[in-house]
Amino acid sequence: MVRVKHRYLLVSLLYPCASSSVAAKEPLPDVIHFHQPSSDQLTVPFLLRVIRDSVAELFGDYGAGVVSTSLQIKYLSPATSTAIIRTPRAHYQLVWAALTFISSLPKPMNQSCVVRVVRVSGTIRKSEEEVIRRAKDIIARAQRPGVNEGVVGDILKAVGRTGGRREEDVMAVMDEEYDENDYSDSES
Amino acid sequence: MFYDLNVPWSPNDRELQRTIAFLDELGYDVVALTHTLSGKLPAEISCPIPASLPFHTPNSLCLLRRCTLILADTSQNHRIAQIAAAYDILAIRPTDEKTLKQACETLDCEIISIDLTQRLAAHFKFKMLSQAIARGVRFEICYSPGILAVDSSARRNLIGNVTQLIRATRGRGLVISSEAKIALGCRAPADVINLASVWGLGQERGKEAICKEARSVVVTAQLKRTSYRGVVDVVYGGEKPMATPNKGAQGKAEAQKKRKASAITTNGNDGGEKESPKPPSKSDLQRQEKRARFESQKGTGTDIGKDSKIAEDQENTVSTSNVAVQIEN
Repeated sequence: MVRVKHRYLLVSLLYPCASSSVAAKEPLPDVIHFHQPSSDQLTVPFLLRVIRDSVAELFGDYGAGVVSTSLQIKYLSPATSTAIIRTPRAHYQLVWAALTFISSLPKPMNQSCVVRVVRVSGTIRKSEEEVIRRAKDIIARAQRPGVNEGVVGDILKAVGRTGGRREEDVMAVMDEEYDENDYSDSES
Repeated sequence: MFYDLNVPWSPNDRELQRTIAFLDELGYDVVALTHTLSGKLPAEISCPIPASLPFHTPNSLCLLRRCTLILADTSQNHRIAQIAAAYDILAIRPTDEKTLKQACETLDCEIISIDLTQRLAAHFKFKMLSQAIARGVRFEICYSPGILAVDSSARRNLIGNVTQLIRATRGRGLVISSEAKIALGCRAPADVINLASVWGLGQERGKEAICKEARSVVVTAQLKRTSYRGVVDVVYGGEKPMATPNKGAQGKAEAQKKRKASAITTNGNDGGEKESPKPPSKSDLQRQEKRARFESQKGTGTDIGKDSKIAEDQENTVSTSNVAVQIEN
């Protein structure tokens, strides 16, 4: 019996535009602003509909059909604005491109939004580990907003390292080696 | 290092700070602010983008200043050299095939940026584009107009034109940048690379387009402006730290000063000899060599001092002991 192969996209929703409701007196630091929690209206069926519509808009009926067999949202946390999306392995790039083309969330939320794919992995376990790591990282950065500023920032800049940001942090890591042998999460 | 070489700039743009902060958040390291020139050029060309922006910018981000010149007419004198000197990067946006041909063949710029959201009249020809790529000019793909497009025709045109451009250039010499007027139009490097690979560029080429090719644009632009004959550049000439040549972020005056300074440092190396400000040409060197050989053939003890002086002289001009030399292909 051949297992159905998936890819799990770990995405984070970013909110780059100023929301009118939170017209705070003192502006939030940018890190916190971009990673703000989503509203409670962001539910699994809602996000699934957004993704389906986007795929259908960009790739038509073909794309929607090819993707729909295994498109599923495995995890959604409005508090940290992250989600794990399961896609068919052969067509994960279609879903990814469709996510890239999302620039706003429709009706009940009515908010502009950028979807960033943070990790592509063959098993859900790796994605979960990454979720936890990212969340910790963002909390640490929000608590110490001035890491890259001031004297320390100047020194880091002079040494050629900007606050310890590496290429792996920027690029979406793809792990390929877990494809074939790992049967630990072959549910559904 | 990730580059976004096209962020439109306009005076009193309140959205710009957010865009820059968001680009930093997404992981970009170098961002070029673009000022667009079109129509009749002003008499006095100077860069209106201030060296330090009026708001706080992330420390780790390097900001460059770029000019996009819209080319509508081939016959007009565009004073390319003058514009190039005022900005860090010069891009040209041809509007039709004639101007595209001119830009590919003759104009001295770094980037050719075609408006891909419009339906183009003619196909791209490999012969024409490869001429530009051979000269070191890169073609730019701006993704943001397609993402933010309200009507689907702009997006369709963008995708169609990008695939055509990838086909015609065979994936070489492409740079991907955002041209995002608002922060919403920016995407993370990984997303852009995936988009490029869906459009047919391939993962590796996509990454090159956003890292390596974009870096080469920045470096060649900097070398063209500050270096000696586009080959040798003084990275650190032993001055006091305040006067260290920075990443080309200063204006034209500074660049010129630097050029002079570099010429002097490469020529007369604190030896105190009075040399002409021009470095020795090939024939000069040959003559010197001949003379040295002649002197050594005479081979008497009295001439040794003079001989060695010539050798030392040559060494001074050719090798540069306390000048870091950076050579780019």
